[in-house]
Amino acid sequence: MAGELVSPTPALRGSARRTAALRLLRRRLIQAVPLMLGVVIINFCLIQMAPGSFLELMTAENQVSDPATVALLRKTYGLDDPVWMQLLKYIWALLHFDFGFSYRQNMPVIQAIWIHLPATVLLMVSSIALAISIGVAAGVVASMKVRTFWDSLVSIAAMFFYAAPSFWLGIMMIVLFSVKLGWLPVGGMMKIGGNGGVLDILHHLILPTLALGLFYAAIYTRVMRSSMLEVAQLDFVRTARAKGLSRNKVTIHHVLRNALLPVVTILGVQMGTVLAGSVVIESVFSWPGVGSLLFDSVSSRNYPVVLGIMVLGSLVVIAANIAVDLIYMWLDPRIEIR
Amino acid sequence: MTIKVSRRVFGAGVLAVGVAGTSRGSFAQGTPRRGGTLVATWGGGEPQACYVPAGGGSSPTFSSSKLFERLARRRMDGVFEGVLAESWKPSADFKTYTVKIRKGVKFHDGKDMTVDDVVYSVSEIWKKYAVASALTDFAGIESPDADTVVFKYNNPTPEFFFASTLCSPVAYIVPKHVYAGSDPVTNPANNAPIATGPWKFKEWVRGSHFEYVKNENYWKKDEPYLDRLIIRYVRDPAGRAAAMEAGDIHIGVFNPVAPPDIKRLTGTGKFVATPKGYEEAVWSTTLECNMRNPVFAKREVRQAMFHAVNREFIAKTVYYGYARPGTSPIYSPNKEFFTADTFKTGFDPKKAAALLDAAGFPKKADGKRFTLNLLAAGWFQENGKVGAYVKQALEDVGVGINLTVPDRPSSIKRIYTDYDFDLAISNQANPSEPVPSTTQYFTTDGILKGVPFRNASGYSNPDVDKLVASIKIETDPAKRKALVVEFQKVIAQEAPLLPLVELESITLASTKVQNHSNDPNFLAASWGDLWLAS
Repeated sequence: MAGELVSPTPALRGSARRTAALRLLRRRLIQAVPLMLGVVIINFCLIQMAPGSFLELMTAENQVSDPATVALLRKTYGLDDPVWMQLLKYIWALLHFDFGFSYRQNMPVIQAIWIHLPATVLLMVSSIALAISIGVAAGVVASMKVRTFWDSLVSIAAMFFYAAPSFWLGIMMIVLFSVKLGWLPVGGMMKIGGNGGVLDILHHLILPTLALGLFYAAIYTRVMRSSMLEVAQLDFVRTARAKGLSRNKVTIHHVLRNALLPVVTILGVQMGTVLAGSVVIESVFSWPGVGSLLFDSVSSRNYPVVLGIMVLGSLVVIAANIAVDLIYMWLDPRIEIR
Repeated sequence: MTIKVSRRVFGAGVLAVGVAGTSRGSFAQGTPRRGGTLVATWGGGEPQACYVPAGGGSSPTFSSSKLFERLARRRMDGVFEGVLAESWKPSADFKTYTVKIRKGVKFHDGKDMTVDDVVYSVSEIWKKYAVASALTDFAGIESPDADTVVFKYNNPTPEFFFASTLCSPVAYIVPKHVYAGSDPVTNPANNAPIATGPWKFKEWVRGSHFEYVKNENYWKKDEPYLDRLIIRYVRDPAGRAAAMEAGDIHIGVFNPVAPPDIKRLTGTGKFVATPKGYEEAVWSTTLECNMRNPVFAKREVRQAMFHAVNREFIAKTVYYGYARPGTSPIYSPNKEFFTADTFKTGFDPKKAAALLDAAGFPKKADGKRFTLNLLAAGWFQENGKVGAYVKQALEDVGVGINLTVPDRPSSIKRIYTDYDFDLAISNQANPSEPVPSTTQYFTTDGILKGVPFRNASGYSNPDVDKLVASIKIETDPAKRKALVVEFQKVIAQEAPLLPLVELESITLASTKVQNHSNDPNFLAASWGDLWLAS
């Protein structure tokens, strides 16, 4: 949802800039409504197309063979209605922040997701923070030391972490850091029976964050390097150098800030893929997050939960893209986003 | 009686079967040491609830069996012994069983367990959910006094059948004061059960683990030996292997890790692997013919399907040698009823081709006699590999095969609801008592559309129905065994569904864990007698 860039224009200053940002925010929020509607309709229809239903699995697991009981269950879960009616009911419920009921967890969907959400948010935030930190730093180093040993080292490392499947990387790190060296826990979010203190959680967070974040760090490194090299050739950088500014000052204040724009773009787009990646990583590290819940829910055809996670995931992506648009404006005041 | 839950295990993900390394005769050494925390896992995922009244598969059975107790259990030597029942005795006509209930048993909330709880559990939970298919002849239960309940049946009920029902993995005694007046399926107590067992529920961290603590008021004064029991869920077998190697998990049941990891871990000398503890839940991989396809109307065609397949190859290649060819609907570890003296459908492609020729299906110009849809149920990944081999084997005798390997929900729907297959590769796990867990795959009353792990082939034979009806009511053990032997002979020859291979399930445990694998259904045992060596 990152918008169309119109640049350059005279840079907006002060209240004009704030007004432009609010105008943008309002416009994006209005656009988000039909977008979310489309997401809900498409996801709902996709799920309807999948073979097997949660009712069949539920009756199977409970050995229900009585047709009357099956009919009652169909009615209870609203499966008697035609699909379009089910969809309308679902949208109406969503408007009231009702994501449905998870028969498997025997609780409202939003509660089931809420139980797992903090773990996933923590993993996503830490992985993205790691990816941006390493990616930007490594990209800057590679661009400043272009065609040197350090540039080659960064490029090889980036290629490795980009090519290595995250589940394999996770398992290898478990073998090395947990099994062989015994430095870090094999999995879980906290020591079982422990008090779940911050340090304990951070201790458990290290490996999953590395396994998930290094892939994105590799992408950011590559993008940052090429962006830095490209921006360094622009006129305003040459002007800054001509003014006698130091190399570091030019790099940090002029090149870096402008070179960050592509990274910010990718960040917004990749929020969804980070969430998807967490499904795998949560499985490898027994991380009790939404990814694990999604995996279980797909396996058990627990569609209310699957749909709930998809809707919330879409909300996250839309929100991230709105944030990206705003960050764009902050990074480059010349940019007006339509 | 049926040990239903094992039959319905399909959430396990990976069925990595194998025995490697040390397999000791006994896992008990010296005097039990008290205290400590045992961390356990299993080869599947987290349950939908800690306790599912209808069973719900092996995962909830694993989690609930440490909390709830049954009236009886079967020991490794085959002897039935009371748990919450002290004794039971049939009437002369075997239509009623008088059961003496153990005194002095308390639920975890401090309330006494009484005959009212037993009557409620049997009539409201067992009959309606847990062991419904084993209680078709059940006429009711009464409590004539404070220590006794009387089970009533419409027909004579064999003692072995009755005792097996009492031992069924989900035939628990639940607290009436918690469940009465509620829907047992949705009762919130299912996620934090109150029961009578050696372990008390402490917490469930969803996506991670259950934590149970010692029941200080347990009626067996010496147990449990441990202070705490953790059931941890690790979805990935490689992750389980790493957690065990790192010492985070002490014991894994039902194939917790892949066969190469079993060999590697037992090779360190810190772990033992054993196939013991699964004698009352023997798994198999089966091939099932859909009788609704006219091709299978002739028995010879069904037999040809099995003659075309090399079961030894499947056992050695797909299951790393940790399986054995299946020959009978009753599996070879079943000491009560198994017979090897049945019609043989061993590997013989020439015979398979000859049978198909004789049945009126010669090879056509394209080299095919006919084409079948082969469905390999995707709940275990090995089924897909077996499917790939069976496709090749059948194509070698001129049978065209369209192979699909749908995931678990799709497989259940296609096999048991839509009957959308010609041949199906599936799995069963059967206890010693063949009625109804084994027989319902072959009897007409087992054809229940939409109910999984029943008669999906549509095979209906009045002679088999009559035979099974006789087995159900024959109270003389010798005569009953003869009837079950006859049943095996008929089914092996009729071949609507037969095991391709019998599987060995594995428990992998640290050498510190003592007294494990000491129950014929160890996954569903209480584990009150396990202890950790220092």
